[in-house]
Amino acid sequence: MSKELEFTRIIKDHQGVIFKITTVYTDNREDQEDLYQEIVYQLWKAYESFRGESKISIWMYRVALNTAITRLKKEKRRGNQIGIDKVIMRQTEQYDTGFEERLKILYSHIKRLNQLEKGLMLLLLEGKKYEEISSITGLSPSNVGTRISRIKQKLKTQIIKK
Amino acid sequence: MELEEMQTVWSELSDQIEKQKKLTDKMIIMMTQEKYRSRINRIAYPEILGGIICYGAGLLIVFNFSKLDNWYSLLCGIISIVVLFVLPILSLKSIKRIHKIDVATNNYKETLLNYAKEKKQFQKVMKWGYYLGFIIMFTIMPVTSKIINGKDLFSETKSIWPLVIAIPLAIIFFIVFSKWVFKHYLKNINSAESLIKDLETTD
Repeated sequence: MSKELEFTRIIKDHQGVIFKITTVYTDNREDQEDLYQEIVYQLWKAYESFRGESKISIWMYRVALNTAITRLKKEKRRGNQIGIDKVIMRQTEQYDTGFEERLKILYSHIKRLNQLEKGLMLLLLEGKKYEEISSITGLSPSNVGTRISRIKQKLKTQIIKK
Repeated sequence: MELEEMQTVWSELSDQIEKQKKLTDKMIIMMTQEKYRSRINRIAYPEILGGIICYGAGLLIVFNFSKLDNWYSLLCGIISIVVLFVLPILSLKSIKRIHKIDVATNNYKETLLNYAKEKKQFQKVMKWGYYLGFIIMFTIMPVTSKIINGKDLFSETKSIWPLVIAIPLAIIFFIVFSKWVFKHYLKNINSAESLIKDLETTD
């Protein structure tokens, strides 16, 4: 299989993950589209040096999350972008309003966390084990555990405040 | 919303996304290419344009330096040249360092740490850019007056009233402006600092 074909297959398999990361790390559709493309571009660049030492999904999360946090916000800039709605789903297409409401609440909780916690929370919601979170983030598994308990505490406080 | 409920909503979202996958091979290839083009534009337009303007103005002063024939014009000229030449370098260097963070091999913690450090540095450069930009607004006035009109702004001005009014107003504006800049950037620098502290004390 050619390198290009292999890469497109990987992206297609993980497009949902990229979409969820872009939703958590941006506040509007324009930024989300920009970040989505940036992640695909960075993955393409990084794919050259990917040696398969870690699982493809771990590598993917790592590059995507790193790209999300290092992206400099650009104002009033609009390059030639592919509209994300042409690429991936519109959230409202198939969801019922009740689900959308719960989703909004979920995003609002995540967006109130700091950058590190946001990444941890996302990986936790993705169902990653502490060891996997550890290899993506570079924190030790015990530290991941401590931080996740702190996040849970923070979320509880947010709920009480509401 | 409890964590368990969040996990349920998230997995429901994942299922929905899974059903709606729309990406094609062509789109993926286009994305990598489009991004490459927009990245070049991103670096080219705002930063380099600003740099060209600064360097153009700086060179204009350098080539007409002999026209500055008294001590205050000379001083203003030197300050303007230094600021116009140094500021774009600092700003471009700072942005370049952020772009150089290796997102492919670093882990999340390393990236966060590097980014917070570079961002802190960038914010400092921006803060000084505002201050220096304000100063240059005043130093460049007597210089351009001398270079373009051949007039000494201070001794050859017919009425001193515009200056008497303008200078206190400028000072008041500068104080208000500095406070705003300081407050704005201090917040960003502090949040970067606390993140660095938190990450450096980990493990």
